[in-house]
Amino acid sequence: MLTTVLQFAFFMFSVALLLNLLRFFRGPDLLDRILALDTIYINSLALLILLGMWHHTSFYFEAALLIAMLGFIGTVAAAKFLLRGDIIE
Amino acid sequence: MYLALMVALPFLGAIAPLLVRHHSRRTISYAAGAVAVVSLLLLGYLTPSVLAGEVPQFLATWLPQLGLHVAFRLDGLSLLFAALILGIGLLIIIYAHFYLSQHDDAGRFYACLLLFMGSMLGIVTADNLILLWFFWELTSISSFLLIGFWFHQSNARRGARMALAITGAGGLALLAGILLIGNIAGSYQLDAVFAAADAIRAHSLYVPALLLVLIGAFTKSAQFPFQFWLPHAMAAPTPVSAYLHSATMVKAGIFLLARLFPVLGGTFEWFTIVTLVGLATMLFGAYFALLKNDLKGLLAFSTISHLGLITMLLGLGTHGALLAALFHILNHATFKAGLFMIAGIIDHETGSRDLRKLGGLRKAMPMTMWLAMITSAAMAGVPLLNGFLSKEMFFTEAYQQHLFGGLSWFIPVLVTLGAMLSVAYSIRFVYDVFFDKAHELPKQPHEPPIMMRVPVLILAALCITVGIAPMIMVSGFLTPALTSVAGADAEVYIALWHGFNLPLLMSVLALLGGIIIYLQRTELFNFNRQFDIRDAKDVFAGIVSRVTRFCDNLMQRIETGSLQRYMAALFILVLVFVIPELMNISALTGSRPQLDVDAISLSGAIILMAAAFGAVIFHRQRLTSLLMLSVVGLMVSLVFIQFSAPDLAMTQLVVEVVSILLMILALFFMPQRIPRSSTGGRVARDILIAGFVGGVVGSITFALLTRPFSSISDYFLANSVPGGGGTNVVNVILVDFRGFDTLGEITVLAIAAAGIHKLLNNLRPFMPSGDVDGRAWHQVKHPMMLQTISQLVLPLALMVSMYIFLRGHNLPGGGFIAGLVTAAAMILQYMANGVDWVKERFNYNYQSLAAIGVLIASLTGVGSWLFGANFLTSWFTYLDWPIVGKFEIATAILFDLGVYLTVIGATLMILANFGQMTTRHRPRQEGH
Amino acid sequence: MLSQHLAILPLLIPLFAALLQLFPWGNNPQFYRRIIGLVSCSLLIIVSVTLLLQVNSTTLVYAVGNWQAPYGIVLVVDRLAAMMVLLTALLALPVLIFGCYGEDNLGSHFHALFQFQLLGILGAFLTGDLFNLFVFFEVLLISSYALLMHGGGKQKLRATLHYVLLNLAGSALFLISLGILYGITGTLNMADMAMKVSTLTGDDAAIARSGGLLLLIVSGLKAALLPLYFWLPQAYATTTGTVAALFAIMTKVGIYAIIRVFTLIFGADAGLAAGLGYDWLWWLGLATLAVGGLGVLGSRDLRLAIAYLVVISVGTMLTTFSMGNDRAISGVLFYLLHSTLVTGALFLLADVIAAQRGKTASRIIKGRKLAQHAALGLLFFVAAITVIGMPPLSGFVSKLFILEAARTGAQVALLWPLVLFSTFLGMIALSRAGSRMFWHTLPGKPADISHPRGQLATIAVLLLGAIALTIFAQPVSDFTTAIADDLSQPERYIEAVLQLTGGDHE
Repeated sequence: MLTTVLQFAFFMFSVALLLNLLRFFRGPDLLDRILALDTIYINSLALLILLGMWHHTSFYFEAALLIAMLGFIGTVAAAKFLLRGDIIE
Repeated sequence: MYLALMVALPFLGAIAPLLVRHHSRRTISYAAGAVAVVSLLLLGYLTPSVLAGEVPQFLATWLPQLGLHVAFRLDGLSLLFAALILGIGLLIIIYAHFYLSQHDDAGRFYACLLLFMGSMLGIVTADNLILLWFFWELTSISSFLLIGFWFHQSNARRGARMALAITGAGGLALLAGILLIGNIAGSYQLDAVFAAADAIRAHSLYVPALLLVLIGAFTKSAQFPFQFWLPHAMAAPTPVSAYLHSATMVKAGIFLLARLFPVLGGTFEWFTIVTLVGLATMLFGAYFALLKNDLKGLLAFSTISHLGLITMLLGLGTHGALLAALFHILNHATFKAGLFMIAGIIDHETGSRDLRKLGGLRKAMPMTMWLAMITSAAMAGVPLLNGFLSKEMFFTEAYQQHLFGGLSWFIPVLVTLGAMLSVAYSIRFVYDVFFDKAHELPKQPHEPPIMMRVPVLILAALCITVGIAPMIMVSGFLTPALTSVAGADAEVYIALWHGFNLPLLMSVLALLGGIIIYLQRTELFNFNRQFDIRDAKDVFAGIVSRVTRFCDNLMQRIETGSLQRYMAALFILVLVFVIPELMNISALTGSRPQLDVDAISLSGAIILMAAAFGAVIFHRQRLTSLLMLSVVGLMVSLVFIQFSAPDLAMTQLVVEVVSILLMILALFFMPQRIPRSSTGGRVARDILIAGFVGGVVGSITFALLTRPFSSISDYFLANSVPGGGGTNVVNVILVDFRGFDTLGEITVLAIAAAGIHKLLNNLRPFMPSGDVDGRAWHQVKHPMMLQTISQLVLPLALMVSMYIFLRGHNLPGGGFIAGLVTAAAMILQYMANGVDWVKERFNYNYQSLAAIGVLIASLTGVGSWLFGANFLTSWFTYLDWPIVGKFEIATAILFDLGVYLTVIGATLMILANFGQMTTRHRPRQEGH
Repeated sequence: MLSQHLAILPLLIPLFAALLQLFPWGNNPQFYRRIIGLVSCSLLIIVSVTLLLQVNSTTLVYAVGNWQAPYGIVLVVDRLAAMMVLLTALLALPVLIFGCYGEDNLGSHFHALFQFQLLGILGAFLTGDLFNLFVFFEVLLISSYALLMHGGGKQKLRATLHYVLLNLAGSALFLISLGILYGITGTLNMADMAMKVSTLTGDDAAIARSGGLLLLIVSGLKAALLPLYFWLPQAYATTTGTVAALFAIMTKVGIYAIIRVFTLIFGADAGLAAGLGYDWLWWLGLATLAVGGLGVLGSRDLRLAIAYLVVISVGTMLTTFSMGNDRAISGVLFYLLHSTLVTGALFLLADVIAAQRGKTASRIIKGRKLAQHAALGLLFFVAAITVIGMPPLSGFVSKLFILEAARTGAQVALLWPLVLFSTFLGMIALSRAGSRMFWHTLPGKPADISHPRGQLATIAVLLLGAIALTIFAQPVSDFTTAIADDLSQPERYIEAVLQLTGGDHE
């Protein structure tokens, strides 16, 4: 059962990633692209967690944690750039 | 020993005039004169043994590997030249003392003169061909300084440069020739070279060697077609002209011909080239000497002509011709040095050297007139003077050769013509200056100081005595000299009177013809006026500046200053180098089994590639392009995870984000829109190059990945726990196996931080006041939402980073990742709360932090020394504490701490400095 | 205790010096930084002389972290490395002293970066590990990026940008090349790699060859070989004298890397990869020589002319090296010693001349009379005839070595004319420069900027090195011949590195 669910989840998240990519390319605005990037981060970390479950290991959790934190910081930086131009002031 | 001392003395002595530079002129001259006198005495000391047929030699090894020795010899030829160099040199020093004005720097003058004297002595006494070349080039250099002595005059500067260029180039040709000869002979020592003479003449490289040596000799001796530099070297002070351009330097080429005659001479090539060049030079020089209005110009061309005469004699190469050549070298040096000094006296006393202005000086300077008449008569070849004797011998030789078969009569005819011209300009020298009608002159002429005339007097006396009693005066000198050129047991016989014969007739014709030509000279001048003869100096300067401009233009074409082209060159070279190698590969795919592809990997690969292309496609919209790059980075780190490299993945992630942050920071200062600057062709070229390079690298990578692989990594896997005390091999490699690399890399990080700090210190960049579409920046600097969240993130992030740091030795993590995580969390604080806010709470000098980090890591390494182990040798043990349990302590963790601190210090230093810069200089138009 | 760690001291001294110099040091930091720097450079000379005396009897191998080769990183001090280290130290001290007369105040971190630069250079000479070589290349590059900008200015920034970007591309290629070589041989230790490469067959050899050629490109970029030299002229011509003088050794790092790698790993014994790249080096070296000659003649600026003289020297050295015989390699090394010291002196001199000439700076046009006309004229004269290879100083000796090394007819027919012709062009260019700058002066008062005697003395000291090279030419060339002999028998190096005993780790 879990295997099927996991496989389904893998598939869905992969499709989601490809859709994110589409949005990322289509834009049309920078904001859309930043959001797409942020979502790509989130979906990747979801994939990582799934991978951990698939392999029955907690090995990937730190990496997922880092992606979460760094993705956040990256998005903040891009947003701040749009807002103020200068991200550290 | 005395021989070496004699040569070395002028070099050492060159310092003497400089040392007494600030003393009186007299002291300086005495110092210089003393050097010449002592050298001359040494020569005198050595002379008897040379005359007795010995050849004193001196040998000290210098560079045996090259066959270069400090080797001197004093055979007859050397003695003849050495006597000329030192004797006339001494007279010149005396003369120059009176000639130079008070403004001239006599110390520098004498120093250069002595340097030159030493170099000349070196040439004539060198017993080693390379040593000879060594001194040869030294004469070029020291004469450059002497010709350019009055460097405020444009003539002097250009003359000096031209002389250096021509004689220097000749010297380089000579070097090549000498190396060829030495390679054939197996040694550069003269005795060995002489011994190998037959082998050299028979060798296939004989002709190139001969040509190269002749180029050297002809440039130095101003032979046709290299004669043009000599007249312009006359911009030198007259003592220099008298010394260099009559008695010594120009004779160096002649000396070389005589020196190498036993080795290179006697062949058809030698005879043809040397004789014809000599003949051409003689005629050319004589003709132009007559046309010159400048006194020194006349003498310069006459020197060229006489050098041609000697060259021609050496080319003829018979016993008599060689004797005549040597004899004329001596004679020419005496009368020409005298004439130059007279020219100098006239210039000095009247302020002019122009034959059209000068005239009627016989009343004002009677004694000078007599001296001039004697020396010019010697030059013209008037009987009872030395010039007559050597010229008669020359005529004899010219008449006796039968080298061009039925057309051999050309040579005596042309020779007689040359002699006529010689007579004509000699007359002109005397008549136009001392007789003729007087003109207005810049100065009131009168006799020069007596000591200025004495050197000329000595030389004139020599002209007469040698002319009357040649056998008594010079045969002693000439015998050994001829022996060393022509071979053993040379006999010298010079007679005053040979009876009525053809050479005498030629002499008579020359004298009569000369007088006629002189009388008809205006016709000749008018004839010559039809030709537009450009000044060689201007031609030379023109050529140099044209070539310079050409090179400059060419270089600007090669180096356009376009980075794209330089990059293209780099990558094209990569293709040119690597593609042929890859074409040799028979099968790219190796024997390793390949993995299956799953859907996730596939979609990951699609995203990776799409984002990579996107980064290029969107490169004109900088932020978009950056975002694409960060997708690439994310995907790469996922790939690392997929292939079980969590350490790499984590490192990649953090590095990725931190560098993207840095680039966003920099983006603020960059032009917001990139103009479309590349043409279609350029884009196509770039795509081609990039595509090919990518393809090549991809192919190689593919080839490598599909091949079975055994490497040192097996050792690392096996030794990680027993040797490094950690189960995370990656970390053990980083901090232990290859800890030295890590030390280097954190050093790089610290340097980068210092470097960026240095760059930003000097930078006052432009800061836009609105975004790409011209909208003004938002008013709120630090949104509260962000502030709140980010402050929550900090403690969490710190905890995570400590965790990653501590477990690093055994599980994925380590100082580097931990440091970057901490740094990223700190950056978030900077972004959310601003520089000032952070500074209030966390005021630490990041630069020192980075330095301390590297210092801790390095000191950990040095700590091993205390235990007698090598730098960075690690140590670990397991402790078993109550409650805590069994755990490991290792020196590696100390090293990792250094890494951790460096990463934080360096990263924050870069980012915070960047931020601070904008805070300091941000234009204040927003009311905040 | 120190004698045991002698091999690593040349790296630790500048490392610790640089780290100490990074600290703030209170009110008068420059004073302390200068002291630290000078002490470091003096110690370096002592250490490198000691090293040189030791390596004559035995090659020192130092296993960092006590991990035996080929697994760990080893430092290898053979004659070649020891000579390069000594040369660096001898150049560094006078240059640093020159810099301490005020040039170090033109921007921040000068002293630390100077020491870091030394660290990178010395590390590249000493390491026996290819990846470690990459690391030290990075150390020297990143500090050189920063040093190039010392003093600021738009032109400098532009030249630096070119330099940085080209070298970044070079670093990427270096990594690719390392990946290839590691992928094929499975090792990073140069001695080990040499052994592995010699046994390669078929496609593996071809792949290794492409890796080796990439390494040649990377080293050629550092050395400034023809299509890769573009960064050099502007970078050297725009930066300050001290930095340019220190950089006199930088191109030599590239040349060192080529000599080391292409005698050890791709030398005559390398099986299918034997003699890799030598033909390329020959032709590109000749072309470099030619372009350098044109550049010298075309230069309208003294510094630029000197930079092209560096290009000429690179072409000369690489062409000669590619002839591959012992005499050639010995000649290259002798030339390297000579050219490093003299170009170093010339760059310093150009700085002084430019400062005293004021507005005309180092452009080759007539200008103001120099304040220290006689002293500078003498120094320039001596340096100029030395660098173009006229007697009596080291230039002609090294030129003779180079010419003598050409053995075959084709070598003679191409190398001699180009070397001699470039000498001729250099002679014309420098005599023109000297004549314009020292002789063709404008009437009026000379400049009022004069330099302290001590500062000029540093230039004289470098030139004294050239004089010493001339007088002691034979002993020096005995030493370089011994190096050439070592290099022609790479098994000596390999044995010394791989048969290291005592690698047992506690």
